[in-house]
Amino acid sequence: MKRRDLLATGTAAALGTLAMPSLSRAQNARVLRFVPQANLSTLDAVAGTQYVVRNASLLVWDTLYGIDSNVVPRPQMAEGHEVSPDFKVWTFKLRPGLKFHDGEPVLSKDVIASLNRWMVRDTMGQRIKATLDEMVAVDDRTVRISLNKPFPKMLFALGKNNAPVALIIPERIAKTDPFQLITEYVGSGPMSFAKDEWVPGSKAVFNRFAGYAPRAEPADWLSGGKRMNFDRIEWLILPDDATKAAALQKGEVDWWENPIPDLVPLLKRNRDVVLDIADPLGNIGALRMNHLHPPFNDVRARRAVMMALNQEDYMRAVVGDDETLWKPLPSYFTPGTEVYSEAGGEVLKGARRIEEAKKLLAESGYKGEKVVLCVATDVQITKAQGDVTADLLQKIGMNVDYQALDWGTVGARRSKKDPPSAGGWNIFHTWHAGADCLNPAPYTAFDAGGDKAWFGWPKNDSIQAGIAKWYDAPDLAAEKAAIADLNKQAMEFVTYGPTGFFLQYQGWRKNISGIVKAPFPVFWGVTKT
Amino acid sequence: MFAYVVRRVLSTIPVMAIVALFVFSLLYLAPGDPAAIIAGDQATPEDVERIRAGLGLDRPFLIRFGEWLWNVLNGNLGVSIFTNLPVTRMIAQRVEPTVSLMLLTLVLSISIAVPMGVLAAWNHGTWIDRLIMVFAVFGFSVPVFVVGYILAYVFALELEWFPVQGYTPFATGFGPWLNNLVLPAVALGGVYIALIARITRATMLEVLSQDYVRTAKAKGVGSRTILFLHALKNAAVPIVTVIGIGVALLIGGSVVTESVFAIPGLGRLVVDAILRRDYPVIQGVVLLFSFTYVLVNLGVDLLYTLFDPRIRY
Repeated sequence: MKRRDLLATGTAAALGTLAMPSLSRAQNARVLRFVPQANLSTLDAVAGTQYVVRNASLLVWDTLYGIDSNVVPRPQMAEGHEVSPDFKVWTFKLRPGLKFHDGEPVLSKDVIASLNRWMVRDTMGQRIKATLDEMVAVDDRTVRISLNKPFPKMLFALGKNNAPVALIIPERIAKTDPFQLITEYVGSGPMSFAKDEWVPGSKAVFNRFAGYAPRAEPADWLSGGKRMNFDRIEWLILPDDATKAAALQKGEVDWWENPIPDLVPLLKRNRDVVLDIADPLGNIGALRMNHLHPPFNDVRARRAVMMALNQEDYMRAVVGDDETLWKPLPSYFTPGTEVYSEAGGEVLKGARRIEEAKKLLAESGYKGEKVVLCVATDVQITKAQGDVTADLLQKIGMNVDYQALDWGTVGARRSKKDPPSAGGWNIFHTWHAGADCLNPAPYTAFDAGGDKAWFGWPKNDSIQAGIAKWYDAPDLAAEKAAIADLNKQAMEFVTYGPTGFFLQYQGWRKNISGIVKAPFPVFWGVTKT
Repeated sequence: MFAYVVRRVLSTIPVMAIVALFVFSLLYLAPGDPAAIIAGDQATPEDVERIRAGLGLDRPFLIRFGEWLWNVLNGNLGVSIFTNLPVTRMIAQRVEPTVSLMLLTLVLSISIAVPMGVLAAWNHGTWIDRLIMVFAVFGFSVPVFVVGYILAYVFALELEWFPVQGYTPFATGFGPWLNNLVLPAVALGGVYIALIARITRATMLEVLSQDYVRTAKAKGVGSRTILFLHALKNAAVPIVTVIGIGVALLIGGSVVTESVFAIPGLGRLVVDAILRRDYPVIQGVVLLFSFTYVLVNLGVDLLYTLFDPRIRY
């Protein structure tokens, strides 16, 4: 090698090495490391309703319509729609140039197959299916849905964020039985799923889809242009909360979806970490009673619990003493919306009436039988609620059988209709995302359809009629009246016991910007410096 | 010797069969339902029932066990209920981090614990002995996760010498690989060091009181030669036994360590699978752990012949 060549090579190498840090920083800015709320163990947001699966699916798949932050559905994959004056015939036209991650165009047949699969699993979809005359492809980009009954809430159904979401998937995959998980993850969303890099329980990787055509409008929740500023998003599943907090503080991760309340003060002290409310629609705590067996098959026993239930006790146990994070909720519905109502909620207001509750319980015929309280102790929110309930039941003179279980066991146990003495249950706890409790459509836990209702199997025909009335409501005023009536009825019937409304934090590094408050993590528009 | 090895390997077959039956039965009887977890919280009981039927979980025990056993005999551990990925692939993804963690812990523990035990025995009754025994009691008493948190706080968060979490494959380079594993190995090694150090000390004390050691001393043989050439070799059999038994301890400890340091190993895989009731994964990993343990015991038995020529198979 000549001396000049050697010098040139050496200089180039030295310059290359010097340039590496900034190159590395630039590459780093194109990768987002995100810690989700739970392990991503499947990726089918139709077969399953887990929030973590829904959140990942919203990156990979797209929807015809998408709700904005005012919960108004806006066109997304659809260019627009036409609807007959009687709300029976809906025609949707796809935007031109939409492509799946495998390069195939998105066609009407894909939309039809996807909606057919979704309709089997989703409560709103089931209503559409029940009145469906036909769903046909007018051409490759146009789909017409003809119903034999008006369905004014079609756009909300197609654009809602509540699982199961009406995601559009290729026809060949959409033909999978809706009760079985899909195994091919091809979408048309802004990111593609890197199945080869998936280490379930540890890491899930999403790569930017170059063929994605975002809308021109600014992004707003599920609507508008979903512009990705990252080439790669890594979901890192860290099992331990303290490890998550340490990783965020040290900058090993960029964004943590749900820091637990105990660690929030620690994170607030770190100048490189930003904390803010994650979802403005919050959550509703739930004390779920089994309507099939004594004592809670008697409405008086359920009312006795409501009379004694102190939501402040529950909320302090769930989120601690930060009063900005919770409020009492004398309602079954998410507060802060135009249709919100507290009609009939007096039973949850004011001083608690323990003595009256005891009397009512005695009137219901309760004679000290064991009340099986199933508590998932591995989930902080259910554990906290369970402990408060055990105390509450004892105060009103109930004989509590506190069964400490894990969430997996509670999940199986709650589906048993057997008497509590034969392996069934009387009470379990959960919570519902506020986004699912805006109205009766996605609110499975509100349904009172008996055998077909959610766990606890409440049966009340009048409530079911009220839900149907809401579906048929042609305008906001009618919707509001329907919700008020439903709330009043459910409070009297005690479908379940709302234990309060609470918010949760999300946390991210200071060099991340563009994170918005939403019922799901919104990745589009987020940047990293 | 060869015949013995073959006999021992063959004897693993009924052991594995019993393990397989035991694990399958236990999971069958255990409460929990993967269908309910897949369905999610918003699903109705009817949906859960349909998913359960789709997964074949409503079929009788014997049919499910027979089908699974047949697949296992054909080298097929099945697919995960949740991810639909083959269990063998999921295990393969996780083997390297766990083996790396266990090997590093083993090397670290043996190289620290054996000299510690020897030193304590040689200085029996002195402050050195007491100090080492205090350390051993500490190692036994403090849970792995507490040590893990303390190490992560001091050396990762405050001093920033090591990462808080994660794993870097060996193929990326020895430095990054080691950098990720130092803290977990130290955390996991604590109890193991304590165990080996105590056994080494106790065995060495017994050996050092033997006549031949006194004779060696009388003949003027150096302390180092007595300790490491004569005494330690004779004390090796119980020490190797404890190291072998301790592998089970490491497997159990790796579950906690991998969670604290977010290492994607087999320990976390099996915990996640248990929480979700992902039966094929649980069965596959438990079979693997059992097989490993049986092999480790075989290895220990064979090592005896190296240290004690009187042992013959």
